[in-house]
Amino acid sequence: MRAMKLNERSVAHYALSDSPADHAGFLRTWGGAGTPPTPSGTGRRCWFVLKGNLLFSFESREGRAPLSLVVLEGCTVELAEAPMPEEFAFAIRFDAPGVRPHLLAADGPAAQEAWVKALSRASFGYMRLVVRELESQLRDARHSLDLHRHSSWKAIPSRCKPQAPDHWSPGLENGHSLSRDCSPMALVEEGGSRPAGRGLAEWELQGPASLLLGRGQSPVSPETSCFSTLHDWYGQEIMELRRLWLQSAQGSQPECEEQDRP
Amino acid sequence: MRYNEKELQALSRQPAEKAAELGMRGPKKGSVVKRRLVKLVVNFLFYFRTDEAEPVGALLLEHCRVTQEEPSGFSISFLEDPERKYHFECCSAEQCQEWMAALRRASYEFMRRSLIFYRNEIQKMTGKDPLEQFGISEEARFQLSGLKA
Repeated sequence: MRAMKLNERSVAHYALSDSPADHAGFLRTWGGAGTPPTPSGTGRRCWFVLKGNLLFSFESREGRAPLSLVVLEGCTVELAEAPMPEEFAFAIRFDAPGVRPHLLAADGPAAQEAWVKALSRASFGYMRLVVRELESQLRDARHSLDLHRHSSWKAIPSRCKPQAPDHWSPGLENGHSLSRDCSPMALVEEGGSRPAGRGLAEWELQGPASLLLGRGQSPVSPETSCFSTLHDWYGQEIMELRRLWLQSAQGSQPECEEQDRP
Repeated sequence: MRYNEKELQALSRQPAEKAAELGMRGPKKGSVVKRRLVKLVVNFLFYFRTDEAEPVGALLLEHCRVTQEEPSGFSISFLEDPERKYHFECCSAEQCQEWMAALRRASYEFMRRSLIFYRNEIQKMTGKDPLEQFGISEEARFQLSGLKA
C-alpha cells in the first residue's frame, strides 16, 4: 500500500514562517515515530516548536527544515516515567491503535509544566471551544449594550439605522468594499492571476469579520460602535497589506519569499 | 520531514466538518480529474479513493488560499507557491460556495485571530478579560500583538 501523501513542502513552509508559535523550546526526545533511534536512553535534544495543533522538531533553533511533525489531535499529555533517571519527562499518548506514545523531557520543572499545559490545549477542538464561548459572550455583551442604548438614547438619532441581524448585507461598505465571499480580504480578486507583490497579508486576512458576515447575519447589531470596530479592524489589515505590498514592490525578491523569514 | 502516518490516518476517520465526493485534480501539469471522497477534519483536508478506507493523501490547510475557478469549481493553493493549485469540482455553485467558506475558516490561524478579536471586543465592552476563566490570558499566542506577526 502506497504511503499517504501530505503537502510536506507547505507544511514545512508553515513551520518556518513567522506565524506565531504557541510554544517553543529544547526538549529531549526518545521515540514515537518521527524521531531517529537514540543510544541508550539519553534522548536526542531537539528544538521543538508548537504551532496550533502541530508540534515540529528541528535539529537546532536555526534549523531550516523540520525533522518531524506530531499532529496533536486525539491525544492526551501526561507526566511520564522516563527511561533512566530522567526528570521532567512527559508523554503524548494517542487514542488511536498502533500509534506509539511520544516521550519527551524538558530541562526543568517550569519548562515541563509549561509544555504539558501548552500541549494539552493545542487541539483544534479546544481552540474551537474557546472561540465559540467568546463568540457567545460577545453576543451577550452586545445584546445588553443594545438594550441599554435603546432605552437611554431613544431621542437621539443614530448614525446608522438599526436593522435586524438578517438584513446585514455582505456588500457592506465600510470605507472599503468587501468581496462577495464576505471575507475582509477586500483587495483579493477571485480566480485570477495576481500581481507578485501581494504576498503574505492577503493569505492572513481570513479574519473574524468573515465569521461575522459569512453567516448572513451577525452576532452584533449594526450599530455605530460595531461599524467603527470593523472599520478599525479592516484598517489594521489594509495597512498591513499595503506595507507588505510596498515592501515586495520595492524589493527584488520573488513573490512571497521575503515574508518567510523573520 | 518525518510524521506519523498512523496518527493522520486515525484523524481522517474522525467526524468531519464536511465530506463529499468531488472531482479532484492535482497540481502537476497534465493531471486528470479523479473522483475523490474529500473530507475536512480540523485543519486537514483528506482525500480518499471512493472505495477505500485509508486516505490517498492529506492537505494541511494553514496558509492556504481558496480561490473560485469556475461557478462550481475552486482551487486550493499555498503561500509558498500560489500557482501550484489543487483543483476541485463540485456538483453545483452552491456546493462550491459552501466548501470554499468552510475551507477558509478551517485553519487554526483563522481561529486564533477570531479568538484575539473577540477577546479584544469583549474587553473593550465589559472591561473584563474573558480568557481569565480559562486560565490562559497570559499566553503569548492570544495577545493582540500576535496579529502583527
